[in-house]
Amino acid sequence: MVAKDAGLLQGTVELLVLKRLSWGPMHGYGIAAWIETATDDVLRVEEGSLYPALYRMTRKGWIKGEWGVSENNRRAKFYRLTRAGRRQLAEQASGWERLSGAVNRAVTAIDLPEEAG
Amino acid sequence: MRRWRRIFRRDPADDVDEELRHHVDERVRDYIARGMDPESAHRAAHERLGDLVRVRAECTTLLAREHRARDRHVVLNLSWLDVKLGLRMLHKYPGLSLVSVIGMALAIAIGAGSFAFIHGMLDPTLPLEDGDRIVSIQNDRVDRAGVTDRHALHDFVLWRDGLKSVRDLGAYRGDSRTLVKQNGTAHLVAVAEITASAFRVARVAPVEGRTLIDADERAGAPDVVVIAYEEWQRRFGGDPDIVGQSVRLGGTPRTVVGVMPEGFRFPVNHRYWIPLRMNPLDYPVGGGPWINVFGRLAEGYTMRNAQAELTAFGDRMAAAYPDTHGHLRPRVLPYALPFTDADSPEAQWLLRLLQLGISLLLVVVAVNVAVLIYARTTTRADEIAVRTALGASRRRIVAQLFVEALVLSTVAAVLGLAIAGVVLGQIEILMRRMSATLPFWMDLELSAGVVLYAAGLAILGGTIAGVLPALKATGRHVQAGLQQLSSRATQMQLGRSWTVMIVAQVAVAVAVLPAAIFYSSEMVRWGTRDPGYAADEFIRAWLSMEREESPPPAEAEAYERAFEARFAARSEELLRRLQSEPGVDATFAAAYPGNESTIRIEVEGAEPAGIRTAHVNHVGTNLFDMFDVPILAGRGFVDPAADASSVIVDRTFAESIAGGTNVVGRRIRHAPTNDDAPAPWFEIVGVVPDFPASAGPQIIAEDGRDSCITSCLRGTIHHVLQPGPAARIIVRTRRAPAAAFVGTLRDITASVDPALQLHEMYTVAESRRLTQRSLRLTALGIVLVTGSVLLLSIAGIYAMLAFTVARRRREIGIRSALGAEPRRILRAIFARAGAQLGTGIAIGLFIAIAAEWGSGGWVMGRHGHIILPIVASLIMTVGLLAALGPARRGLAIQPTEALREE
Repeated sequence: MVAKDAGLLQGTVELLVLKRLSWGPMHGYGIAAWIETATDDVLRVEEGSLYPALYRMTRKGWIKGEWGVSENNRRAKFYRLTRAGRRQLAEQASGWERLSGAVNRAVTAIDLPEEAG
Repeated sequence: MRRWRRIFRRDPADDVDEELRHHVDERVRDYIARGMDPESAHRAAHERLGDLVRVRAECTTLLAREHRARDRHVVLNLSWLDVKLGLRMLHKYPGLSLVSVIGMALAIAIGAGSFAFIHGMLDPTLPLEDGDRIVSIQNDRVDRAGVTDRHALHDFVLWRDGLKSVRDLGAYRGDSRTLVKQNGTAHLVAVAEITASAFRVARVAPVEGRTLIDADERAGAPDVVVIAYEEWQRRFGGDPDIVGQSVRLGGTPRTVVGVMPEGFRFPVNHRYWIPLRMNPLDYPVGGGPWINVFGRLAEGYTMRNAQAELTAFGDRMAAAYPDTHGHLRPRVLPYALPFTDADSPEAQWLLRLLQLGISLLLVVVAVNVAVLIYARTTTRADEIAVRTALGASRRRIVAQLFVEALVLSTVAAVLGLAIAGVVLGQIEILMRRMSATLPFWMDLELSAGVVLYAAGLAILGGTIAGVLPALKATGRHVQAGLQQLSSRATQMQLGRSWTVMIVAQVAVAVAVLPAAIFYSSEMVRWGTRDPGYAADEFIRAWLSMEREESPPPAEAEAYERAFEARFAARSEELLRRLQSEPGVDATFAAAYPGNESTIRIEVEGAEPAGIRTAHVNHVGTNLFDMFDVPILAGRGFVDPAADASSVIVDRTFAESIAGGTNVVGRRIRHAPTNDDAPAPWFEIVGVVPDFPASAGPQIIAEDGRDSCITSCLRGTIHHVLQPGPAARIIVRTRRAPAAAFVGTLRDITASVDPALQLHEMYTVAESRRLTQRSLRLTALGIVLVTGSVLLLSIAGIYAMLAFTVARRRREIGIRSALGAEPRRILRAIFARAGAQLGTGIAIGLFIAIAAEWGSGGWVMGRHGHIILPIVASLIMTVGLLAALGPARRGLAIQPTEALREE
């Protein structure tokens, strides 16, 4: 599935990036690869759009990019979570849980609630 | 430029490219690992990435924006801490701070001081309402670049009546007149003959009475004058009834009709304003007196519009009067430029170049300081390596070192401005004493512009002195430095260029210092020299006579003859009146003794060729008596008519032609030039001693114009002054100090004829004091600048040795552990210092001797053979003394400590 709604996608991508980086610094490819596996390739991000998102998050001060050496011994830009990023993750994650829980409940509801009738 | 950018930061596009390339490569690697062939893996990876061009563009924009934001952040982050660190460094390395601050302060003082002058000349801001809309108009000559034709009376009328773009067109000519008050006291004052429109251009209202009005300019209107506030206060005691009073200005009684407010000096530095009354019909086109034309740009017009309109006028004039106007092009320009001779583009460029050259001095000093700071930075290599390890970026560290240097250069700028302020103040005092006043828009104060310029210089100095060493110190070795903290210094190098710089500076110091010492000592000596006569009894001045009006051309010749006859008669009468005063003697001369011009003289029958240079003067018959100069041989002058073909020579001249004073009866004449008829012969009738006692070479003659070193030794010949319009008047008061007689002299002169004017009147004692003061100032400047060159080169040697010892600390330790005498190791180091000093001194000696020889011996004066070796050995000694500190440090190295540091 390819998400079409840009707004929804962007918010989702940001949350996923924050989540991945909460375990430690990672370069862009590593983040993309993780999103792919972690979402079972369902949320198949057009990988190119990941980078503008990374740069926007850098600008917001949630993450910070630094050049380092990758596991394959190549120069790569590693992103790590800043303190502001960590706060953001906590907020977004709980927001997401509430939202997805609510949507989930709504979508999987069997009976029409009485009040709505 | 690109390299510079790279030093700090890569291009955002490069960054993005590398990141995206990394992504694609990893993806390809992954696909291949999953069993794809490389070609399809590439295709798939790119497909997966999406629109590469758009992503790249978007990312680059975002990253560039991020960088700019960070730049702002870093600038703000050049924090207090850095400034405090800088101040601490200033305190921690007092020697380096002192040397650097002094050197930079002098360079900044010179740069800012010259800026005060040059900026005032090039971009003056008139302290008047909308001053930048006031313009000058002049006729430039096309056939001679930089020359202006100011016989512009006809053009002025045409422009005034026709120009739409420039309003209130005015004209003036400057003059001086003797002001005689009702009680008979007289003063020479600067007067502007000016059109009434000038006051509309200036937009300044009078404080008393009125300004000039157009009606004042009509022939037959009452003669009026408007005076400056300061004159009202000083000359008229602030008399509240000043308006309506009558004063004499030269030959004409005038009624004071107004007083202008304090500080008003329009058009240049004038304090009296009288109407300009000129009828163009009295003069042919292109004739008439010199005038300056000015006006205000009309509302809605620019300089460019005005020039276009003016050019059209010029073309019409050129067509109508090809003889007088064919070679003229009218030009409109900022008001002040014609008055400071900065009205031609060439002159402006020259001034700007001069300013640039003077400011380059700071660059030289700053590079020196940079080297010193670099040497110091080596001792902080550990600090830098540790900070790098803790995550400070190279930019951050460079920024820190920059701020440290900036603290240094800011202190230097403050000191430099203080020096410049004092010197400019001195110059202003001197100028005022010599009654030379600056144009009203120029002030030699530390204006905001000057301070700003000094601040710019400080930033430039700080950048050179801080960023250069920082870049070098944080270069490619920083990573390596982390691995071997203590021996970090071994990695830093002082290159060949530094050696060359030290050698060059030592050479300059050796070559210039003797001449500087000679010139400054000579200036001070000359200034305090006993003139050989009672200087405080003498007054000197220029005598001239006011021309009442400009006669129509037909009568000009007759008028000129009549004027000269009147001037001659009045001069004679003045002389008689002065001589009848008790104890007072007076005479006329072409030049004040000791201040004569030079001329080529042919001596009859002298070998070889008999042509030599001598000073020449025309003197009154009583001049030798007045100066108490005895006649050594022959006789003095008796009578101008009888002595018309006699000359009296001084001892030096006599000795130069005959080896003694036995020259009476020999004949000389002014050496004929190619096309002139031979000059008449003069017979030497007497010999006088050299006077005023010019003990040895002098550099600057009293009025600062004539500079002579060797020619002063060639003697002087005196002709008798023939009756006629006189120029230089010399008065001696045998019974009282001359200063008390100055006012009386003015009053007597005015009573003989109010048209007579005494200019540049000083007592000789006063003029000597002024000369001494300016000479001392110049001498101080020379000594300071040369001294700072010496200081910097010595500091350079010190820094180099300290650096070398620090760098070879480990080697010294090991070698002394192995049993070598530390002295032997140090000897090797000092051999290098000695070699640099020696090379520099040798080159300097060579330059100095070559200059001395090439100039015929006036670079170092007579004592060059003494001064030069003293300077050379002084520099050698000071250089070696500078080496003492590092040497002791080197000797104190304990092998165990030096090795443990590893």
